[in-house]
Amino acid sequence: MPHPILTRRTALAATAGLLAAPGILRAQPAAVKLGILQPVTGALSQDGELGRLGATLAIDAINAAGGIKSLGGAKIEMVFADARSNPEAATQEVERLQGDGVVAIVGGFASPICLAASQAASRYDLPYVVDVGVADSIVTRGLTNTFRFAPGFGAFTSVAISNLAKLNEAAGKPIKTVVLVHEDGLFGAGLAKLMNAELPKIGLEVLETIPHPTPSRDMSNVALRIRALNPDLVIPSSYYNEFVLLARTMQQQRIRPKGVYAVLNGAASNYRFVKEFPEAADLVMDCNHWFHPTKPLALAVKKQVEAAGKFMAYNVPLNYSCVGLVADAIERAGSADRAKVLAAIASSTFAGHIMPYNETKFVGGQNQGAQPVNLQVQNKDIKVIFPAAFADAKPVFPVPA
Amino acid sequence: MSPRGLMPMLILLAALALVPAFGSNTSINFLVSALIVALAAQGWNLLGGFCGQFSFGHAAFFGTGAYVDAVLQARYGVNAWAASAVAIAAGAGVGWLIGFLSFRAGLRGSYFALITLAFAEVLRISANAAPITGGATGLLLKLDARAANFQFASRGVFCLIALTCVALVLALSVWIARGRLGAQFAAVRENEDAARALGIDVLATKLRAISLSAAVTAAAGCLYTQYFLYLDANIAYGSWISVEALLAVIVGGISTPAGPIFGALALHALGEVTRLIARGVTGIDLVLFGLILIAAIAFAPTGLAGLASRLRRALG
Repeated sequence: MPHPILTRRTALAATAGLLAAPGILRAQPAAVKLGILQPVTGALSQDGELGRLGATLAIDAINAAGGIKSLGGAKIEMVFADARSNPEAATQEVERLQGDGVVAIVGGFASPICLAASQAASRYDLPYVVDVGVADSIVTRGLTNTFRFAPGFGAFTSVAISNLAKLNEAAGKPIKTVVLVHEDGLFGAGLAKLMNAELPKIGLEVLETIPHPTPSRDMSNVALRIRALNPDLVIPSSYYNEFVLLARTMQQQRIRPKGVYAVLNGAASNYRFVKEFPEAADLVMDCNHWFHPTKPLALAVKKQVEAAGKFMAYNVPLNYSCVGLVADAIERAGSADRAKVLAAIASSTFAGHIMPYNETKFVGGQNQGAQPVNLQVQNKDIKVIFPAAFADAKPVFPVPA
Repeated sequence: MSPRGLMPMLILLAALALVPAFGSNTSINFLVSALIVALAAQGWNLLGGFCGQFSFGHAAFFGTGAYVDAVLQARYGVNAWAASAVAIAAGAGVGWLIGFLSFRAGLRGSYFALITLAFAEVLRISANAAPITGGATGLLLKLDARAANFQFASRGVFCLIALTCVALVLALSVWIARGRLGAQFAAVRENEDAARALGIDVLATKLRAISLSAAVTAAAGCLYTQYFLYLDANIAYGSWISVEALLAVIVGGISTPAGPIFGALALHALGEVTRLIARGVTGIDLVLFGLILIAAIAFAPTGLAGLASRLRRALG
């Protein structure tokens, strides 16, 4: 009598099916690897750590919100690389990240690192999103893999000068004379040259240009020279330590010009300076990167950063936003395929960032929506005073005597 | 060095030549970085090892090679190969000039070391300020991977070129070490006054050593430029290359033709290994690197080459 016999083969198949079923049901989509390149050892380690913090917070937030939905909730996995504050190490790390199969790289911080790393990544058509690096050459080399979310040097100088003109105009032109103080390296020298050419066009006279080396341990001579020249405005372009020294020396010597207007200054928009030397920092203005001062997400990130015992420097929101930009591109591409992600970044209109930028739009790798903002230290806090659409305070200018 | 003594080196070079064919891009990139330092170290060894004139400022030659190569291409549109040739000559010229100024003034030992350091710093600061070098923003070469541009789509080809340079300089070093020039170098190194008494023109010998040394180090600078396509004053004239060149020689074995190559490869490998071991804590790999370096110098003061010959003696 023919019985429905359970053959060994059927049993095996059934068992295999049963064993596999939960696997199919619960299968976690493979994580998407994202390379984060920051200099966390060497001279730039302070900035590198802040950049890493921003990227970590962004990745945690994206994963907590369910990962990449178009990839079935795939998580983003950070593959961290230390650029060691020099371009060779950065290049070596890009090779490693390539070997690890990352879908894109975010970071770099310093211009030389960004230049070398993005070029190394371009060999593999690996998308590279620059977090800070302001050198204009980063996006003028014709590399199709390189994107910069933040504004470059050219944008900074033109915005800084036009905002200074507006500021002066609105206050009834109290400023007529300027002294430029600059460090003799990367930003300083180039910026001073541009300022010397541009300031006379907006009716300001440059009394003197005073260079100083980095590091400098004493700024008394510079301060005394400023006192002798007695300018209406001082425009310093220096790194953190030198500007802090200058501001403190000027405070001690009671040198009070009608304004201190910095561009891309290492200290003027740094909470550490404001906290440690509130009087020296008071009412100093800067034109720099900054987070969106009124967006709730930006303020929530700031709270997280402060809860971690760190200061909300611009590296954090920039890296947070750049990671968001890449995640958004992967989401829209619906794939971890580099070419598709690259195309998705190039056509991005990402708005989930925490920077005071207009709509994201890349032209030749540069985000056209990006803009520098003007900041001023007011009441032991750093406030955005320009552009008006994002400002959370009115400028105090000229500084009351 | 006997032909048999060179065998391990030749085997090593042949083995390295296989890396581009079978290795991953990461390993090729690692090898290129190590070979560039090896070449700079070979240059240092010609002056410091063979002729006994310790320099702390080989960055002056490395940077001159790198900058001349880059400036000629970026500003004047000169062909990359021609620019490299000019750059090597310019490096030799700077070497001769620095040598002429300091040796003629009778600077020896630590005084010579300090003056070379000063020259490198002067060049660094000048390059940081001069418009022709792009100042502090640096100089960027256009990525256009064609053999005519001394740029290659495959890292392997570049690796083979670097390896060829190192092998050529190795041959040159062996030839010098065995020849009359090497004997003159050694005489000047061991006792200048005695060398002079023997009728050796000490100044001319030292100038030959420093020009040769500078040319080789400038060639390393050219390779750097062609590989990374970006330069700024701190890369080209920064003290890192002076230190790496010197360390590679000291670790590898001073005044032996093969020492710099062993040293550079060993140091770079050590750097990578400590990095792999210590992934978790930032900077701990550098601490480990430093500790191993101290141990190496304490227990193998004659370098790896010396250690190898001591082991050989001990074993048989």
